[in-house]
Amino acid sequence: MSLEEQQPDDDPAELEAAVSRGDELAELLGDLVIGREEHMNAPGLVVRPDEVQEALFKLRDEAGFDHLSCLTAQEYEDRYESIYHLTSFDDRTDEVSVVVPTSKDNPVSQSAEPVYRTADWHEREAYDLVGIQYEGHPDLRRILLPETWQGHPLGLDYDQERPQIATLREHANPLEKDQRAEQGNTMYVNIGPHHPATHGVLHVETVVDGEQVVDLNPDIGYLHRCEEQMCQQGTYRHQIMPYPDRWDYISAGLLNEWAYARAAEDLADIDVPEYAQIIRTLGAELCRIASHMIALGTFALDVYGDFTAIFMYAMRDREIVQNILEDLTGQRMMFNYFRLGGVVWDLPEPREEFFEKIRDFLDGLPEALEEYHDMITSNEILQARTVGTGVLPPEVAKSYGATGPVARGSGIDYDLRRDDSYGYYDELDWDVVVEDGCDNFSRLLVRMREVEESAKIIQQCVDLLEDWPEDERNIQSNVPRTLKPDEDTEIYRAVEGAKGELGIYIRADGTDKPARFKIRSPCFSNLQTLPEMSEGEYIPDMIASLGSLDIVLGEVDR
Amino acid sequence: MYLQTTTLSETISGLLGLDGVIGDVVGGLVGAFLVANIMLIMTAFAGPWAKRKITAAFGDRIAVNRIGPFGLLTIVTDAVRLLSKELIVPEGVDRPAWDIAPMVIPFSALLGFAVIPMGNGIQLADPETGLAFAFAVASIASLGIVMTGYASNNKFSLIGALRAVAANIAYEIPLVITAASVVIFTGSLRMSEIVAVQAEPLVSVAGITIPTWFAFVNPFAFALFMVANLAEIGRNPFDIPEAPTEIVAGYQTEYSSAYFVLIYLGEFIHIFLGGALAATLFLGGPAGPFLPGFVWFVIKIWAFFLFTQWARSAVPRLRVDQFLDIGWKGMLVLSFANLVLTAIIVGVIA
Amino acid sequence: MIGILKGMAVTLKHALDGQTFTVEYPETAPEVSPRFRGVHKFSQERCIWCRQCENVCPNDTIQIVQDDKRNGEQYNLHIGQCIYCRLCEEVCPVDAILLTQNFEFTADTKNDFVYNKEQLKNVPWYKDIDPLNSRNPDRNAWIGEGEGEVDYQ
Repeated sequence: MSLEEQQPDDDPAELEAAVSRGDELAELLGDLVIGREEHMNAPGLVVRPDEVQEALFKLRDEAGFDHLSCLTAQEYEDRYESIYHLTSFDDRTDEVSVVVPTSKDNPVSQSAEPVYRTADWHEREAYDLVGIQYEGHPDLRRILLPETWQGHPLGLDYDQERPQIATLREHANPLEKDQRAEQGNTMYVNIGPHHPATHGVLHVETVVDGEQVVDLNPDIGYLHRCEEQMCQQGTYRHQIMPYPDRWDYISAGLLNEWAYARAAEDLADIDVPEYAQIIRTLGAELCRIASHMIALGTFALDVYGDFTAIFMYAMRDREIVQNILEDLTGQRMMFNYFRLGGVVWDLPEPREEFFEKIRDFLDGLPEALEEYHDMITSNEILQARTVGTGVLPPEVAKSYGATGPVARGSGIDYDLRRDDSYGYYDELDWDVVVEDGCDNFSRLLVRMREVEESAKIIQQCVDLLEDWPEDERNIQSNVPRTLKPDEDTEIYRAVEGAKGELGIYIRADGTDKPARFKIRSPCFSNLQTLPEMSEGEYIPDMIASLGSLDIVLGEVDR
Repeated sequence: MYLQTTTLSETISGLLGLDGVIGDVVGGLVGAFLVANIMLIMTAFAGPWAKRKITAAFGDRIAVNRIGPFGLLTIVTDAVRLLSKELIVPEGVDRPAWDIAPMVIPFSALLGFAVIPMGNGIQLADPETGLAFAFAVASIASLGIVMTGYASNNKFSLIGALRAVAANIAYEIPLVITAASVVIFTGSLRMSEIVAVQAEPLVSVAGITIPTWFAFVNPFAFALFMVANLAEIGRNPFDIPEAPTEIVAGYQTEYSSAYFVLIYLGEFIHIFLGGALAATLFLGGPAGPFLPGFVWFVIKIWAFFLFTQWARSAVPRLRVDQFLDIGWKGMLVLSFANLVLTAIIVGVIA
Repeated sequence: MIGILKGMAVTLKHALDGQTFTVEYPETAPEVSPRFRGVHKFSQERCIWCRQCENVCPNDTIQIVQDDKRNGEQYNLHIGQCIYCRLCEEVCPVDAILLTQNFEFTADTKNDFVYNKEQLKNVPWYKDIDPLNSRNPDRNAWIGEGEGEVDYQ
């Protein structure tokens, strides 16, 4: 039995359902739809560039598409195209792609920002990398590249050989000579890019009034490597898989690899053996624990203020997970363990020893968590610091496309492992953790409780693997060495990464390399909520909120 | 009542056979030199070595153990390392103030030790107003911090300095008021007298005499004093003037090399001064069985240092508004209540 | 207050039990898993110069130079640029390129990290672990000829 999700074009009934959903939506939009496309994950509705807002408002308010998961922009030979991947927080499998073509000589399209707040950054990124202009966008600047950058790197006519140096003189200089306004009593502070609490090279342009944050604007892009382009230059079969490890590099590698594996396997119609799916699930949950441990430790670090004991204890427990992952995958962070159609290695021999290692870890985990609860969650000062600060109401979170523990800490019951199930998750017994507090404390609690749930999943996986018959240990299906998916097939698939919904959009052009590879990074969307959470609060709370978002700049900037 | 009559400087001038003004000056200088060096040596142990060892022990780590036995020679290498670094003077600093501030901070703390009785006759001076003098000079450090923050031409420094001043104003009052409740018992601000009063027995249980240390007499005041003291010296959970994750390093952000060493030194001497005040006011000063008084005194202030490090390992930092809330709405009220209660009790009994 | 005291009790317990989880690195060599991927080892004797490793390498770390008769002349690998994905080992049909467990490598300049085939041959085994045995038990048929230690010279 294949555990892959059934593809729409495999199953006539589902195909019909997808088509009829497309028809239904097309009917809803009426004349707004000027054409139809079929993406592998969803029906595509083509909309005129000056009617984007109207169409999206209708889809949001009347068809329940309250989640703009991703915006993909790309350039064809004859046109530019923006694809809004819409879905709903209540029913993740209900998807629709709104395709907005714009002409080559005048690539102007209406902004979706008034409909979905998250479109703000996504459209800026599309403008920055591809070059589509969004009309009515409140602040259409470059986001990942320096402001002086020439050209749009993912455009077709971009000269990759040309060196570009953005000098401080030309670029908006964060170290500018002091400026003084005649009136007003606020102060502009650069928090970052080199600041102890920004968890990487994040620059937060902050305006403070005394100690209170009046205005705040995260400035990202310091770690931009154009991973999308790197993936577009790699072959499906082998060369893309090492790179997902480097997006969210804080031990969440296998979760990221799964995002690519899922999209590419669906695109090329590859089955994954059940045994391999269990190993994947096992590895992915181990990664989730490791990632949440770091999140916990650094959050404590931000609130406690020194390299305190908690950080070290979290590192100690993460170290155990890392050793297990090293035994399994051969590397501690940059795993490159998944392959299309399975995983590269079976469990390490001797298997009993490996299982024993995992069991020991799981047995020790409740005690370790108890210790964290003693030190963190039951601490009155920490409660005073985190309860009721960094509040992110559910509607705001949805509008900003927040996912993962950030959304679940705001009471949004949304987890792709359950809502759009993949791997072996739907066969296992576990719960989605949701907290209603909407504040820093509930995000912390969500992560701590998710570690327990992950432990439950791992426990079940180990039991399954232990009893697996020896002659059925098939770790990889037979996948050709060169994969060439059909031309003009498009797919957008997401998995539940450590920080939230990690989606991959791939468009194939008939060669062995993707024509467009788009990464929907959860941290990118989550970080957008920071101004919402912090404005009007104190600097320390802003730092705590940033810590509770648990961003990794490698994934924000890609 | 036993009153210590000879101070360290008098002893020294006596030993040297000098008298008159020359005796006072020479005795005072030599004594000050000795006391300051005792404190500096302790700081040298605490800063580069003990602090790392303690933090590591709390975090299940191995720490400094490469150079010398137990890594003790790290103290020497660290001193060389820090002092040989380039002193980076940022653009636009307010020059005289920026240079003077690192001197002010450690010396204000060192001045406080002039009146602390350390046992075995080690006390530089024993003025009538000893306690007031100690508090007064210790708060000069705030002036130094304001100077660092203002002169550094750095916004993080400025915020840090403002926080330090806010903290100082909010917690200095409860600190002094709580100390005043001790003075009500003793009836004197003279340090030697405060210590002497505490030497009297409180109760005798099974042959063990518990002295009238004010920590036993009035544990509530002791707790108040410890909290206010932590805030005064800026340690967790009240380390908001530095707050590394929020405002980088607070008022000391722009300092490097020798100036950094001086500021760092000042912080540690301040911790020790806080410990010395707590020991003198509430723990009987240098008193203790078997061991010489000076050893007990050192043990007590190191215990206080250990306590600050322990708190650092497990107590989160408060937010600045919560911190001031506790200071003005909690500590101030409680310390006045304590003062009034103590006054009533002393008045009724006496 | 109870919560704070509980937290302080936990840290004190850790401080007093004297256990550490860090190691003194150069003296205590860390445990490295048999599957760990470190610096490459190359065997010219095995290599059939098929250039598959060069092709599969995601970031052009491997450079192979052949003469006009397709005989191999140079095999250069920039171990500073390598991302240790092990794809070269995976595609190699004759196990001519292997990733040892060796992770300790230093150089004064970036250029020193460009290893030629002689340097690659001389990369030592880490703690005498033969990676093939642990990584791919079913692939050692070729290696397994002749008993005893595998000799990659």
